[in-house]
Amino acid sequence: MTQLQIIEKLRTMMRKSSQAQVDWDTVTADSSIASLGFDSLSILDLVYDIQQEFGFEFEAEELVGVKTVGQLADFLEKKQK
Amino acid sequence: MKNDKRVVITGMGTITALGLDESTFWQNIIAGKCGIRRISAFDLADYKAKNGAEIDNEQFTSVMRTRQLTSVDDRTVDFAVAAAFEALEKSALKNVDGTHGKEMAVILGTGIGCNHSLLNANKSFTAKGIRGLRPTSVPRCMANAVSSQISMKFRLTGPNYVIVSACTSATTAIGVAYRMIKDGIIDMALAGGSDSVFDPFVYGGWNNLGVMSANPVPEKSCRPFDVTRDGCVLGEGAGILVLESLESAQRRNIKIRGEICGFGESSDATHITRPSPEGQAIAIRNALKSAGMTPADIGFINAHGTATKANDECESKSIRLAMGKETERIPVASNKSLFGHMLGASGAIETIATAIGLEQNKMPPNLNLDNPDPQCNLCFVGKEAIQIDKPVAMKNSFGFGGNNAVLILRRYSD
Repeated sequence: MTQLQIIEKLRTMMRKSSQAQVDWDTVTADSSIASLGFDSLSILDLVYDIQQEFGFEFEAEELVGVKTVGQLADFLEKKQK
Repeated sequence: MKNDKRVVITGMGTITALGLDESTFWQNIIAGKCGIRRISAFDLADYKAKNGAEIDNEQFTSVMRTRQLTSVDDRTVDFAVAAAFEALEKSALKNVDGTHGKEMAVILGTGIGCNHSLLNANKSFTAKGIRGLRPTSVPRCMANAVSSQISMKFRLTGPNYVIVSACTSATTAIGVAYRMIKDGIIDMALAGGSDSVFDPFVYGGWNNLGVMSANPVPEKSCRPFDVTRDGCVLGEGAGILVLESLESAQRRNIKIRGEICGFGESSDATHITRPSPEGQAIAIRNALKSAGMTPADIGFINAHGTATKANDECESKSIRLAMGKETERIPVASNKSLFGHMLGASGAIETIATAIGLEQNKMPPNLNLDNPDPQCNLCFVGKEAIQIDKPVAMKNSFGFGGNNAVLILRRYSD
């Protein structure tokens, strides 16, 4: 899966678990995850959804330093290899 | 100093099979429309009871979008939040920007709680074990998510909690909020209830309980007090009211829609499902006492009227026990032929129908009462809405567990 495809998938998953009113069509690789309505609890849902969708597991702690949608897509791209 | 404030209704929100806003809901009631259809949420092949008053998913999603509300993936919570939005908006209290809070209580009833979340958690746990279980299962499944989500969404900083007492839940929630305001503990409250029974597991439990109608014709299946009734028909949705002290409503210069002026409750203390006329009569008497009224003051009774053989016979006896000779005069109706038995939400939606009925002096009809059961010897409303002589109504709710709750409502006047 390319990074663009991953970002597209993330956008769909984030739309589902975010509790904020966000214009999801404007979300890009540079968008900050915190600005999309995720906090310490709802990020757990997002991690769960990603694991179920991508079929591999990782700890939420591994995401320390991941701040943007693009960085998350990078992380997942590396993980899937 | 003893507080004894008058408690008024200044906003109402409804999510029902008869309408996703108060005005549509009421127009459909007065038009004598029935919200009961064949259930579409799941495969009914093995189910005996095939009818229900479901919320249309497409229409509900559209309402959520219009109200800019985000689903939390739980039907009970989503219904409650959507009804709360309407009630707050109608009472000029909508505060969705989250910039400042308002000290307002949120006291809601639910019979079952967040059963769709529980079912989803159970499905993923069964399929994948502990690794399949969503990490946010606890806050999704807890019953008080129904009130907490509203408190957070609209920044309401008064107490929020959920009352669980089966089919009396919402009536009790309104009664508890009424007492809080009457006693001067808080000025304003959102009160009501929400339930959503249509999943194959929870609904299956009802199907197997032996209290459900098997009538094949959906709009004829719910027949409270009729001699041919064969059980109840469930509905889903939410009803929420804004209650506040008269002083608060006058200070805000907001339109007053009605008044809650009494609340009584009791327990049968006999059997988990079989009701008791004596227990129910105590709740009715307690409600009258709380309102400082006698049976002679009551102009209408909005009955619990579930259309089970046991409930309707028992309720007829308890009304007669508590109301004495006035029983011969007081018109009685059950709303359940219109939008089904909404369980923990039923008391709220039926209180709303009663309040609007008093306001407009049009009390809702009994849709399917063709031949009143001689065992239910009451003065029934027919198939048309009626006017009443005295602007005071009683709302009965009786639940499994021997829970009984009764509200007294009055048309507002200075």
